[in-house]
Amino acid sequence: MSTCNNLKILQVCVLLVLSLTINAQEFKFGKVSKKELLEKSYPLDSSANAAVLYESKGVHYVYNQSEKWFQLETEVFRRIKLYNKQGFIHGTDRTYLYKNNVSEEVVSGLKGVTYNLENNKIVKTKLKKDGVFKNEFSEDYNQHQFTMPVLKEGSVIEYSYKIVSPFVYNIDRIYLQERIPIKKLAVKIEFPEYFNFKKFTTGYLPINLKETFSNGDFVYMPDPKTPDMLKQGLGVTGKRTKRKQSIIDYKINVNTILSSDVPAFNIEAYSGNAKNYISSIVYELQYTKFGDNIKNYATTWEDIIKTIYSRAGFGEELKKSNYYKEDLNQLLMGISDPVKKTVLIYEFLKKKMTWNSRHSVYTRNGVKKAYKEGVGNVAEINIMLTSMLSSVGIDANPVLISTKDRVASLYPTLDGFNYVITRVRFSDGNMMYLDATDKYGEPNILPDRVLHGAARIISDNKTSQSLNLRPKKPSESISRVQYQIDTHGLIKGKANLYNMGYLAHRFRVRQGEESLETQEKRVKQKYEISDLEQYDVKGIKDIGKPVNERFEFSLEDQVEVIDNEMFFSPLLFLKYKENIFKLKKRVYPIDFGYGYINTISVNIKIPEGYQIVETPKEAVVQLPDNMGSFVYRLKINGDSIQVSVAETLNESIILADKYPVIKEFYNQIIQKENEQVVLKKI
Amino acid sequence: MQKKIQLLLVAVFLCTFIRISAQDDLSLQAVILDSVLTENANAIVRSEAVEIQINSVNSVTVKNKRVVTVLNKYGNGYADSREYYDPSTKIKKLEAIVYNSFGKEIKKYKKKDFMDRSTYDGYSLIGDNRMLYFEHTPIGYPYTLVYESEVEHKSSAFMKPWFPVVDYHISVENSSYKIVNPNKIPLRYNEKKFDGYPVQIDRGDQEVSYVISKVPALEPEQKSPALKKLVPNAWVALKDFSLVDIKGSAVDWKSMGKWQYDNLVSGRDQLSAETVQKITTLVADATSNKEKAKRIYEYVQDKTRYISVQLGIGGWMPMQAQDVDRLGYGDCKALTNYTKALLDSQDIESYYTVVYAGKGKIDIDSEFASMQGNHAILNVPNGEEDIWLECTSQTAPFNFIGNFTDDRNVLVIKPEGGEIKRTKKYAPEENIMTTTATITLKADKSIEAEVTSVSKGLQYNKRYFIKQKPVKDQKLYYKEYWDYVNNLDVVSIKLNDDKNEISYTEKIKVSATSYMTKAGSRLLVIPNMFNRVKRRMPKYEDRKTALVVPRGYVHTDEYIINIPEGYTLNSVPEKKELETIFGNYTYELEKLSESQLKFKRFLKMNDGTYPKEQYEEYREFMSRVRTMDKSKIVLKQQ
Repeated sequence: MSTCNNLKILQVCVLLVLSLTINAQEFKFGKVSKKELLEKSYPLDSSANAAVLYESKGVHYVYNQSEKWFQLETEVFRRIKLYNKQGFIHGTDRTYLYKNNVSEEVVSGLKGVTYNLENNKIVKTKLKKDGVFKNEFSEDYNQHQFTMPVLKEGSVIEYSYKIVSPFVYNIDRIYLQERIPIKKLAVKIEFPEYFNFKKFTTGYLPINLKETFSNGDFVYMPDPKTPDMLKQGLGVTGKRTKRKQSIIDYKINVNTILSSDVPAFNIEAYSGNAKNYISSIVYELQYTKFGDNIKNYATTWEDIIKTIYSRAGFGEELKKSNYYKEDLNQLLMGISDPVKKTVLIYEFLKKKMTWNSRHSVYTRNGVKKAYKEGVGNVAEINIMLTSMLSSVGIDANPVLISTKDRVASLYPTLDGFNYVITRVRFSDGNMMYLDATDKYGEPNILPDRVLHGAARIISDNKTSQSLNLRPKKPSESISRVQYQIDTHGLIKGKANLYNMGYLAHRFRVRQGEESLETQEKRVKQKYEISDLEQYDVKGIKDIGKPVNERFEFSLEDQVEVIDNEMFFSPLLFLKYKENIFKLKKRVYPIDFGYGYINTISVNIKIPEGYQIVETPKEAVVQLPDNMGSFVYRLKINGDSIQVSVAETLNESIILADKYPVIKEFYNQIIQKENEQVVLKKI
Repeated sequence: MQKKIQLLLVAVFLCTFIRISAQDDLSLQAVILDSVLTENANAIVRSEAVEIQINSVNSVTVKNKRVVTVLNKYGNGYADSREYYDPSTKIKKLEAIVYNSFGKEIKKYKKKDFMDRSTYDGYSLIGDNRMLYFEHTPIGYPYTLVYESEVEHKSSAFMKPWFPVVDYHISVENSSYKIVNPNKIPLRYNEKKFDGYPVQIDRGDQEVSYVISKVPALEPEQKSPALKKLVPNAWVALKDFSLVDIKGSAVDWKSMGKWQYDNLVSGRDQLSAETVQKITTLVADATSNKEKAKRIYEYVQDKTRYISVQLGIGGWMPMQAQDVDRLGYGDCKALTNYTKALLDSQDIESYYTVVYAGKGKIDIDSEFASMQGNHAILNVPNGEEDIWLECTSQTAPFNFIGNFTDDRNVLVIKPEGGEIKRTKKYAPEENIMTTTATITLKADKSIEAEVTSVSKGLQYNKRYFIKQKPVKDQKLYYKEYWDYVNNLDVVSIKLNDDKNEISYTEKIKVSATSYMTKAGSRLLVIPNMFNRVKRRMPKYEDRKTALVVPRGYVHTDEYIINIPEGYTLNSVPEKKELETIFGNYTYELEKLSESQLKFKRFLKMNDGTYPKEQYEEYREFMSRVRTMDKSKIVLKQQ
């Protein structure tokens, strides 16, 4: 019995081993098959121009004898199938290698081969030196590129190389999805027990991660004269001591991810930062531990906040107050209301400071210098703001932000933030979010980069909490238009358009620097106005107030005159022209940033000698879960028609499963708004 | 300095020229500014002084002092903040000082404050062009930036030109340019569009200087000539010059072409016997040289791809043909030279040709020989006919250069010297799109339609790339192309690209739930569903520049429209015809039966240049076409 069982187990083992080996064989460098070369298109996605047939990525630490320290190595091996000429861009690989004054990342061991099928024979062409290009890209990065030779439709290329990095505390984000499909992907991340990482993942695809352990050792020969990183923690604790050198055994954490048939990553419009949706895994160093010597990098939000505060460019800068004291006293003389004080300080800084477009949680030149020059990065400006507010007894705290262009951090990470704003809490519980980098900003109206980002508030006791900055209240626009139609079908009218809240902010950001002439041109072009007069825009500089555009217009070809009848859609240029959502399906959410209420009222006077024969019917379209609504009303009053429209979207983010509903919502609006009024000659 | 024959956009090309200027007694305040200069301006070039000293053929020192007052954020890019360099240039001096509107110094950038990085041109894999730059954050407007540099160039083949008005919305208070030539190396200059501008010219013995002052800012106008043709610019060339390390001498296109042939092009065409054999077999049964050339061109398209590498002399000299043969890639120079080598192997005459590529037609100046152009194509003379080959495209049909290099002067480089030729012009009659459709209207406002378009010439050029996109993007393309049809559904797409005939056929089935609008018992419908002039031309109170319509076309549309049962068209609109010098338009509806209409549309647009006074007439024509294109008919329920 027992023998039998053992035999069975043995069989299973052999099978397992065998199948693993076969797999490894299949994707060994150089083992490209005819089948792969003959494949005409990617079976699961015929639109793919190229596909990764196999990719392996191994990240591990290697002990370097001469440095007496670890280095981080990333081994990359890719086999890519190029189905057609559009796929050839994947025949070029580009890597950016970080460097600083002391050390730099390097690429080594590059080899590459292009495989083509000629007369039913596999022809190999090696990548040579003349296909490799190195370049100092900027002060922080070198660029390493290569392009594969002899690409043809149907070629398979293979390449492998190693990136050796001295920056052992930082494992780059590992992408588990690309712009082209991946047939098989094997990722292995190994890190010694000394390094403790936390991982987080992004994307909509399941990630099959396995965690195991293995053992490693290295020969450690301390130099008696010079201290090294390991000495303190490890001492000479190695079990197998050989003269002055010890052999150190250590445990290795092994993470493996195997996936297959990974679909291509596609970008969809209106989804904020699409990179938030690509499948990837990120490793964030928590702490290092050499023997009893533990050094924390970050674990909890509290730790991260502490770390950030302990950095010179944050906590210390927040405490400084001498540089502005005098100006502040003058500014707030005789003011005691906390709201007034807050707004005054915020407006003062907005005016005084110009943002240099740089993102960072930390100051660069320091608040003092920035204050003196009137220019600073976001940390300098908003740390200044927080500090000023706190110094006069306002409950103000920094809010850490990961801006729209970044991948939102899901777990506590130090690198998760690149921006900072300020939150004020008043005694009545009201909150004010402030960003003094934005000249068009106002309390609780934040720039796009912040609004679409992710946020975390830090309280005085250094605890923190995540925040959603998207406003609960929709922003409003009101449009009032009156016009009359003459007997030739020409329209003359007046428009009075108001934008408030975020809609006013958007207007200011887009149009704030434009001259009146440019505005006129824009309005003429956008609304297809043949003659524009008395154009005026008010409130661009009066931040906090609505932006108001008024103008008189005439339109030539809005009314269709056919025989004795006139046809026109009453909203004129205020109606939607097309549905922005054209795709049938969607995978990612739609991120509007803020909800809105557009109210339109139109008053139309019909030409003399005509009567109203047909008008659009009143209608109400309601979105589920109070997401929004559309109301269309119409009244006839003698020879005039009044139309009023209210379009409301309460949600700032709409999940992908609601996409068909939203698409249909706009479709209905467009249909309704296109409906015609018919006038007939009496 | 200007760099290398490669695909450069003209805008970028112009911007990379650094200009400068002079007097020390400049008033740096920007409180009181001349209204002539501030009108329409985003920045004012207060003073610019360029002094070019020709030390020898391989040493040219360019001193540049440029003072710019920036009036608003759009003017920021026009105050210098960067100096380009490469291995053959040396930046000797670099400094910038920023003054506030009162003329008080607020910030100074010394050479060590400048950062260093490689410049990415947007398409090259690698190049050796770099720049030193600083990023200035203005704290208010206006501000004035004084930029000074001194750069020594080893190459003298490119002389920095004078281009005082760099862009629209930029005015010039003063700009000067001076060539100092102590060794009297013979000099030629080429002055463009000086008429109408107060340029002071001072010509010495092999020296020249220009000064201009008080040039108001220009506003861009649609369909106008290129800026270069509207404002003064001057170009200088030396008889004896050097390019990286190659010495040269030229006085006209013949000698310039000869030098380029001898030093850059010739001797780079060796091929292995094996490759020659392969090509010989490939063309063995071809009956004419044209057929042979076509097979070779298609062979190159199939074998190679475009990879741009611009290092050192490689910016001007093509890669060896045998390297392209081995690697299967190259830039425009390399692929042109490779195709030429393959043609040579079959005794087919062809010439490496330098051109300014881009949608805007820019000529190689036939009157002024110098290093010009940004792209290479191949000229294959075939009896009376010239065949032009765009060797960087893997998809273009044989002898089809499209709007990338059409209708312009180019430099054909022959062993005996250079020759200016003009590339093919695509006449309106060649750029045709013929569309037929069957449209079925339904009583519930929905429609179904099947549409077929055949495109040729530049109309082909505009569309054939769609076939290379994935189906999902093709659908999106049609949804956007016919964006005026709400809720359009693209049911099926069939595309055929006939590269032999250079003819592109699209067969599309679409449907839409609410193409028509209902008004009581009426259905309103726009018969022209598939081809509308959408763009609206702006009206100018006072148009300043000529009207340029660079290319023409002919569109013919004919749709059969099935009317829903129970509806009828009471009155058939009259046939409309417009005839102008700009083009002709016809709009016609015909009632075939009670249930069927025929819609016919014809639009021919002519190319041409017209005086500015005629712009308004052109705008009216286009506007009337646009209005008619979207005019409705009424179907009434019986």
